[in-house]
Amino acid sequence: MGRSPTDLAIFIGKRLLQLIPVLLGIIILTFVFTHLSVANCSIWYPHAGKTTLALCQAQFSKPIWVQFWTYFVNLLHGNWGASVTGVPVYPAIAAGVPATLELVIASLFLMIVIGIPLGVMAAQTAGRWGDHLVRIFYLTGWATPTYLGAVIAAIFLAPYFGLPSHGEYTYTPPPFHQWTHMSVVDALLAGNLPWTWDAFKHLILPASVLAFINMGIATRMTRSSMLEVLPLDYVKSARMKGLSEFWVMYKHALRNSLITTTTVLGVTAGGLLAGTVVIEEVFGWPGIGAYAYTAIGGGGAAPNFDGAVAVVAVFAVGVVIANLIADILYGVLDPRVEWR
Amino acid sequence: MSDPVVAIEGLTIDYIVGAGRFRAVSDVSLEVERGHVVGIVGETGCGKSTLAQAIPRLLPEPPATIGGGRILFEGIDLVKVPLWKMPGIRGTGINMIFQEPLNSLNPAFRIYDQVAEAVHIRNVREGGKGAVVRAEPGPFDYSKRPNPSAGDAWRGKVVPGGAVAEEIHRKQVDRQVGGSAEDLKKEVLDYLRLVRINDPETILNLYPHELSGGMRQRIMIAMALSEKPSLLIADEPTSALDVTIQAQVLTLMKELIEEVNTSILFISHDLGVIAETADELGVMYAGKLVEFGPIAEIFQSPRHPYTKALLRAAPTRYKTDGPLLSIAGNVPNLSRPPPGCRFHPRCPIARPVCREEPGPPLAAIPGSSENHRSACHFATEVPQIP
Repeated sequence: MGRSPTDLAIFIGKRLLQLIPVLLGIIILTFVFTHLSVANCSIWYPHAGKTTLALCQAQFSKPIWVQFWTYFVNLLHGNWGASVTGVPVYPAIAAGVPATLELVIASLFLMIVIGIPLGVMAAQTAGRWGDHLVRIFYLTGWATPTYLGAVIAAIFLAPYFGLPSHGEYTYTPPPFHQWTHMSVVDALLAGNLPWTWDAFKHLILPASVLAFINMGIATRMTRSSMLEVLPLDYVKSARMKGLSEFWVMYKHALRNSLITTTTVLGVTAGGLLAGTVVIEEVFGWPGIGAYAYTAIGGGGAAPNFDGAVAVVAVFAVGVVIANLIADILYGVLDPRVEWR
Repeated sequence: MSDPVVAIEGLTIDYIVGAGRFRAVSDVSLEVERGHVVGIVGETGCGKSTLAQAIPRLLPEPPATIGGGRILFEGIDLVKVPLWKMPGIRGTGINMIFQEPLNSLNPAFRIYDQVAEAVHIRNVREGGKGAVVRAEPGPFDYSKRPNPSAGDAWRGKVVPGGAVAEEIHRKQVDRQVGGSAEDLKKEVLDYLRLVRINDPETILNLYPHELSGGMRQRIMIAMALSEKPSLLIADEPTSALDVTIQAQVLTLMKELIEEVNTSILFISHDLGVIAETADELGVMYAGKLVEFGPIAEIFQSPRHPYTKALLRAAPTRYKTDGPLLSIAGNVPNLSRPPPGCRFHPRCPIARPVCREEPGPPLAAIPGSSENHRSACHFATEVPQIP
């Protein structure tokens, strides 16, 4: 137990091992619940032809454990299953995960560079006007339902600011190979600056909406932990060194309050993933959020149960990894913490 | 001999808590002469820490408000300086050592980063950016004080003339010759050695939580001294340490006071600690300075009943039998101070005038040296108290 790189490696290894039972549980739960709900194929797939219906019946008439075993063995062989009509799940997930990741990282970035300074400002002016203004700002975001925020942004803000509100690029497909499936990164890798700018503009609105709605937690945590830190002696001794208020706040005080904020941001990353389902659908972002929406029959699409299970599993991995990163950062920020 | 580093005149500080108004410090006037150590003693809650933190304007305002008075630091009235300009005075002008060494170092940074930050700030203010190569006479001889006063820095004339300017110029030339990161490290090591840390190379890379309380207080002292402040405020620097460490730190501070030509305002509730270090002594009671004067004189012949009682209550190693003496009564509640002199309910020589009229201001006492002042109507009668 300690703080050496070996300790860190052991810590990460342990946490990744813990991921296995979590994943197993998640897959079993979502698989059982989705597949139990298929009572009658003709109700779920009203427009399906005879062949599809027959396929559906053949799959769902078996006992649930047999269905699960078949699915699970396939999964272990790297086969993520397919929709009832035979469209495989894996390619859609493989293309969607990076796109969603790009969106989540962009909004996390916004949450950090806007939300945390707002929290510092609120703590500095605690109980006075600045504090109240910041509170109004983040509570507005917090109280906004995701779909409402997304729709307002897409309908009103997009034309006002001249920002695109649909998709990753103005024209698809882009004239270069999508190595990573992250729109901005791919355009940059191709060295195509006009397309990079285009992709960046497409990213602004969905990322800002996602950030605005989830920013409250970062601001609030930063504010409260700053208020805990500010009366401490080491903040006073930093002031007494002759440091300006900016450095006292952002170097000495914030460094210690970030320890709590980071933990909370790790948890929030899960909330961001959940938020992407609606955001991606509204903004036509080709990530797994939008895929999840169609997989559960959103927009009148035919339900795709294997797809739904895969998306939930991927989200679960995302949440666990986000928390793992937060825990690692926790140890990096606080030298008293040992990784174990 | 009147060249005070800081002169406090009629300083009054209130805490506004809800509807209540607590006068933590009322009408305190004192001076710290250049190169002198002034001790302030008093019971818990008598306002000595508030006074200490008010000088560099470290009190959170609100709830604290400066109700009146002036704090003249090198000719600048700190009460009138806007808060955002105070960082220019703190550090190289006024520095402070806090009571709790466990909390006064930032837990997230290594010792080196924290000490180097202080050294760097002073280097920048001395005119050369980055670290400065030091030729003779080494960092411990402050006789030349190449540090322009914080007052100058605040007024904008950072570089003074004469010999001091030459010194700075020489350093700037040196700086262009030497590499700065290594020099900074060397200087940090010098200051850690100055506070008698045996193995500074190892200490540099440690975090505060890996050190003992005494070590941390030494590092705080090194950090404060490395900025060569004109005034060092030590707010109960030894109170949180256990007795052996206390003795070590105190010895260290006494040695440093001789080596380093800095004025010190030494706050303590421990008369023994004050007796070992201070040149002058101020005694505070319920927010007021009740007696001020040369320490030997006060110890020999206190001229305020409270000082007398305090001295009698101090435990000595020669007293081996009987209970320790205490002062009868309680410290008054500062939101409702007693009418008249604040000490009269506990005073053995109180008379009607003490109940009716507020305590007199500090005044020279007939028959004592002119520096010895007391805030008692009957200062001349105090020696007769048994």
